[in-house]
This record gives sequence, C-alpha cells and structure tokens, in this order.
Amino acid sequence: MSEMKEYSLPVPVKPPAEIESLELPVPPGLDEKATKGDEIVLFVGPQHGGSGHMRLIVRVHGDVIREVIPDPGFVHRGVEKLAENKLYIQNIPLVERPAIMDCVNFSLGYVRAIEQAMDIEVPERAKYIRTMLAEICRIGTHFYDAGILSVFLGHTTGFMWPFALRELACEVLMRVAGARITASYVVPGGVRRDVDNSTLNYIYEATTYIQRKAKDFERIFVRNPVTIARLKDVAALSKKEAIKYGIVGPFLRACGVEYDVRAVEPYDAYDELTWDVIVADEGDSYSRFLVRVNEIQQSISIIKQCVKALKDMPQGNIVSADIAGKKKAKEGEEKRGLDTVKGAFFRLFGRLTLPAGEYTTLTEAARGTLLYTIVSDGKSNAPYRLRVVTPGWCYLKGFMESLKGCRVADLQAVYGSFGYFPPEADR
Amino acid sequence: MKDVNAENIEFLGSGALAPVKKWGAKWSLWAVHLVTSCCGVELAHAYASGYDAERWGTLNFGMMRQTNLIIVEGTITKKMARALRITWEQMPDPKFVILIGACGIEGGLFWNSYHITRPWKIVPVDYFVPGCPPTPEGLISAVRALQKKIERGEARTTVDFKEADLAKILGTEAGKERKPPKPPLKIAEKPEIKIEPKEVDWEFGNQLVDKLRGKIPYAEVFTTNVNRIYIKTNAKFYKKVAKALESEGFDHVKSINVIDVLHENKFIVECSVSSYSVKELMPVIVTFAAEIDRNNPRIPSLTDIWLSADYQEREMHDFFGVWFEGNPNMGQKFLIAPEVETPLRKDFKLEEPSYVLEESK
Ligand code: SF4
Repeated sequence: MSEMKEYSLPVPVKPPAEIESLELPVPPGLDEKATKGDEIVLFVGPQHGGSGHMRLIVRVHGDVIREVIPDPGFVHRGVEKLAENKLYIQNIPLVERPAIMDCVNFSLGYVRAIEQAMDIEVPERAKYIRTMLAEICRIGTHFYDAGILSVFLGHTTGFMWPFALRELACEVLMRVAGARITASYVVPGGVRRDVDNSTLNYIYEATTYIQRKAKDFERIFVRNPVTIARLKDVAALSKKEAIKYGIVGPFLRACGVEYDVRAVEPYDAYDELTWDVIVADEGDSYSRFLVRVNEIQQSISIIKQCVKALKDMPQGNIVSADIAGKKKAKEGEEKRGLDTVKGAFFRLFGRLTLPAGEYTTLTEAARGTLLYTIVSDGKSNAPYRLRVVTPGWCYLKGFMESLKGCRVADLQAVYGSFGYFPPEADR
Repeated sequence: MKDVNAENIEFLGSGALAPVKKWGAKWSLWAVHLVTSCCGVELAHAYASGYDAERWGTLNFGMMRQTNLIIVEGTITKKMARALRITWEQMPDPKFVILIGACGIEGGLFWNSYHITRPWKIVPVDYFVPGCPPTPEGLISAVRALQKKIERGEARTTVDFKEADLAKILGTEAGKERKPPKPPLKIAEKPEIKIEPKEVDWEFGNQLVDKLRGKIPYAEVFTTNVNRIYIKTNAKFYKKVAKALESEGFDHVKSINVIDVLHENKFIVECSVSSYSVKELMPVIVTFAAEIDRNNPRIPSLTDIWLSADYQEREMHDFFGVWFEGNPNMGQKFLIAPEVETPLRKDFKLEEPSYVLEESK
C-alpha cells in the first residue's frame, strides 16, 4: 500500500455562535483550534439512538477519534442533596432510583452503611434472601445492557431476547417484593417480608429457564460474527490504564484485574457460597461484554445455592432483633427477630438516628463498585451528608479515554459495551 | 398560547383526505429515542417481546426527523429541558407527546430537587401516565388513548377521579383552625461532625496504621472500622499525604467528598483511596481529610497523582464551589446546569414538604 499524504485545506469555517450559549465543559477555543486544523468537532447527543442521555463532544481527524469530552448531567437529579432532607428510611427508594433495574444492589449498599453504623447483625435468612435478589438484579441489569448494546449495534433480535428474559427477573421481584422494578425491599436489619417456598420454587425454575435460554442467546447474539466483528479489538484498555483511570466492576475485570467487592470484602451471604470471579485479559469491548455474559451464569449458580439454603431454613426471622428492640431472650433461647415488618414499620424505622461518625460501604452492583458514605451528626434523623459514587461515574473516565484512536462508527458500540446508563452515573 | 395539541388533531381531521390522514397517523405513532430517565426501563419492556407494543403500530425509532411522538420518560432536568424542546421542535407536524412517570407530572420522588423541571411546561402533553415507573401496560394504554383521540378527533380522559369536597374533609368550613401534624424530620441546629478512632480487631490494619504513622508523622492516622483507615491532615499536607499513600500502593480514588459545616464556617474535603494492584490492600479504604476555610475554599488537586480523581473533583467544584488548584477544568460547570450555583452547600435550602392538604395552586 502506498503511503497516504495528508493535505490540509484552509477552509474558512467559523464555529456557530450558539456554541457559546451551550456552556460546554470544554477547554476554551477548542472549536476554533479544531476548525483551523484538520479536525472536526462532533456533537453526539443528548438525543441519540441509544438509551440514556449525555452529550459527547468528539474531536475527530478524518474518521479517527482524537479525543472525547463528556458533558454529563442530563439526568442529574440531586440525589445527594435530597437525601439530606429525608429520613433515613425514606432514602431507600431514593437511592435505588439512579439504577432501578439494579434496585436491590443499590439499596443494599445504603442499608449496609446504616447497619454498620448501628452494629446490627442481620439474620441468616435475610442475608440469603438479599443475596439472592441482588443476583437476580445483576442478571436483569446484564440483560438490560446486552439489549441496549444490541440497539446500539442495530441488532433488533439481540434486543428482544434479553428483554424477554428480563421479564422473568421482573416477575421474581414482583412476587417477592410487589413491584416489577423498584423493589425497595431491603430495610435496615433485614428485608421487608419473607419469601415462601412456592416463590422459591418459582425462582428456581425461572433461573433454570434463564440458564437454558441464555445459551440460545449466546448462539444468536454473543457468538454472532457481526457482534464479534463490531466489538473485538475495539477500544481496548490495558491493565495499567484501567487502574490509572479507576475503572470498576466487570469492565475492570475485563482488563485482567481480579477485583470484585463480593470477593475482596464479602458482605451478606457471599462468603458462604461458591462462585468464581470472571476475569478476562483482552480489555476490549468484546471481553467487556463477555465478562458480563459469563457473570450471568455465575449469578444463576449463586441464586440456586441460595434457594437451596433458604429451603432448608425455618421460615421467619427476617428482621434483626437488634433493630426490633426485643427484650433479651429467655435463657437457652436465641434472640429472635421479627417475621415481617408489617405493622411495625414506623415504630422500627421512623426515628432511626445513627451515632455520629462516617460510615462507608462498598457494594458490587451489576456495573461495578458502588460506594456509599453516610456522615451522621448523631442528632438528626436524616444523614448529614450522603455521598454516592456510582459505578457509571467511576468508569466514565476510562470510557472516554478508551475511545481515543477508535473510528467514529465504533463510538456507539463502545458506548454499549460499557453499558453506560446516565441516570446511574449522574445520580 | 396556541393549543398545539388541538391544532394537530384539527389538521388530521380536515380536508377530503381526513380519513386517510387519521388512519395513517393512528397506526404510525413512532416514538423518538429520548430515554430521559429511569422510566425508560419500562418503555424498553413495552417495546420488547414481552409486551410488543409494535402490534399497535408504534415503534421506537432513532431520529426525531422521522418520528411523530415523544414519550417523555420521567424526569426532565434543567439541563435536559432545552434538548427536549429542540427535539420536539425538530419533529414534523402533526406530533404528539406522552408523558410517563410521576417525575414528569409533579416531580415524583424528586419534587423539590434543585435540578428538576416540569416537562409539561416545556412541551404540550397529550397524555399523562402516572406511576413510578408505570407498567408497560400503562404506557400502552396511553398510546391506545392517543390513537382513539386521533380517530375521534377529540380528547377524552381515560380515568375519572371523583371530586373531593376539600372543605368538608379539612373541616375548614366551620372556621376551625387546622393544626398540621409535626414533621417527622429533625435536623440538628449545630451539628457536630466528628470522626473518631475506633479500636478494631484487625491486625493488618493496625500494622498499616503504624507504618503510615511513621511515614506521615504530621498527620493523625487511625482506624474507624475494619478495612477503614482515616487520616486527618490539613490543606498544606494534603498532597504530601496523597503522595505517601501512592507510594504505599494505593492506586485509585474511590470517592472525593466534601462536607459542609456551615456554623463552623469550614469545609472538610475527604479523599478515599484504595488499591487494585496490591492484593492485601484491595479491601482497605484510606480516607484522608483536610479542613479548609469556607470563604476561600481552595485545595490542591490530586489529578497529577491519580487521574481517577478528575471527574469527582469537578463534580465537587459544581456542588460546593471548592476550587481544586491544578485541575485544568476548574471554573466550568460539568454536571449541573449553569444556572444552579453550589447546590450542596448547607445554606442552599430546598423547598420543604407541607403537611397540610391545600387546595391545588
Ligand atoms: S417516575 Fe420513578 S421511575 Fe420514572 S423517572 Fe421518576 S423516579 Fe424514575
């Protein structure tokens, strides 16, 4: 192939005046510099063909991306401020709104921070129920992201399949918690209500079904030559870069870092179950996707173990005795919590006040590490400050950096491969 | 103001071609991809194989130029409002708007947030669907209602609520004074923010604390819980502590946090770091904090040590107005709309809930 020579044409283009009024977070003079040189500044979004809204300001040379500057915040709703003005218990629905498909993981992190502050020991059964539902949400979120990835790739079948399977996850949440998506099921000290055996049977069957159908989905979409061609070797990040940009979750594991909060700092029932941390080495878009596809299988195995364990346990005792404020048990008897929060909700949680201090918990949400910091002053019954760092917000930097050197046409594929969900990132 | 909704319907019902126009519009309500918030999850379900809204001739499609329906999913933030309006304006006539989710109606869970607008003030809405999020059936029934509206040429509400006699319920007719219930929220007047050492049974941590104490004698190092170490320092040593931690193997920032202590006129800037490359340090979070003056909040940026601090510093700059010296992007709004100033400071007050039932304003 002969060497191609570059010619720059001095085209007298003026950046449009409206750019000023958009107040973009770009270095001053970016558009002028670009139009004077050989580059173009492209604006992608906030309305674009996929899910969720953010603006990407892309500097391209030819059709190779030189730099991407994010303009997030189109779904910023001020969760952190609102949390300061609500009771601790009222914040549970609030903190799960950023990523409602992943609701149990999101409320779990927040609730565990409260439990850490008040030194609450969660009953065994509640622990297993929480773990089980957290994994169901993880499956649901991974399917959601797979669906959105296919929308980005223009693959309609790949959208229909995972969403049909997600329907089962919604059904499980509905049977357990009463809502298809926003469960608000985890409460300090346990869960809201018990899961009976017929529901457990249903969960077992649903996961078996998902397991079988996920195999078909792999054949149709995951190992589809088109998918592979669009994702393989696109936007790869090395292990070193991934660490430098502070990427989280499955995207970090796709770069070869074996970090999963469930394994490094196990919470709830995770240390009593057997499962593997899925790691890949390539760090490209395809392995970012594959890691999540394989995690679905691990989650299914975790759920099945939980179902088995729950069936062997006696029913009831799902809210900790520590918070139920029960008197000391009789001698020789174990302190027993409540079987349901029904009727006791306001008594238990209405006046919740945490001791003064700072409490930080890490949770492995579907898209990565989720951090909650509650700062309490010891007197108010609302958090003095709640810091929420969502996975999306953490890997945004890596997402932007990984795009450097890609083609413009790959931008959507990379967006999908990160499963970037703006409400989650912006909070 | 013109009634755009009525005009659209009128247009469809006029002329000799009216039946064709109506039929065409009714069965091709294509919604633009404008997944504005979390309600979008249920929208996706409605259009996926479970509910298959395409049966009724409605389809989610990429570009506004080729579509005639906006389904506003929940919250519209101040930043998004403009995009919503532009999208709507670029759509060809006749066009329709369905608004789903409690957030879109009166703000829902986020009603008093500093970053929320009411979308019905921005675009003319045809149908509202309440719920948080509404079920896919709810959305589909709104599409069906819209189709019926096109067909009939007039709008009908799908639910009739009984009018309540407020005066009777509230007992205002007798001239009685009403006592609102006490709000359950109690916020301390002069809150004390103290983070204190806690002895924990954590051998590795205690060793690490000793090691750090040797390395940074000018700062206070202690454990606050298992896997949590806290370092109190000041703005002068803030960066030095960061460098010391980096050489220990802490390689990324987990969170940057600012706590506003209004009555003591100070900010506490906290940075939490952890490690991906050293296995023993993986579960450990070290938080180092510095107190700075609230009137001149400046602190060195850590972006040259940990690049992962960048966006969070810019976020904190938006929220509190803290200036991170050395971060090249200071002074620009990043996450929030330009018109909102330092919303997370404690003196930025949100509207408070009212515990009295009032006649709607
Ligand atoms: S109504 Fe509920 S689900 Fe919909 S956008 Fe608002 S918070 Fe999200």
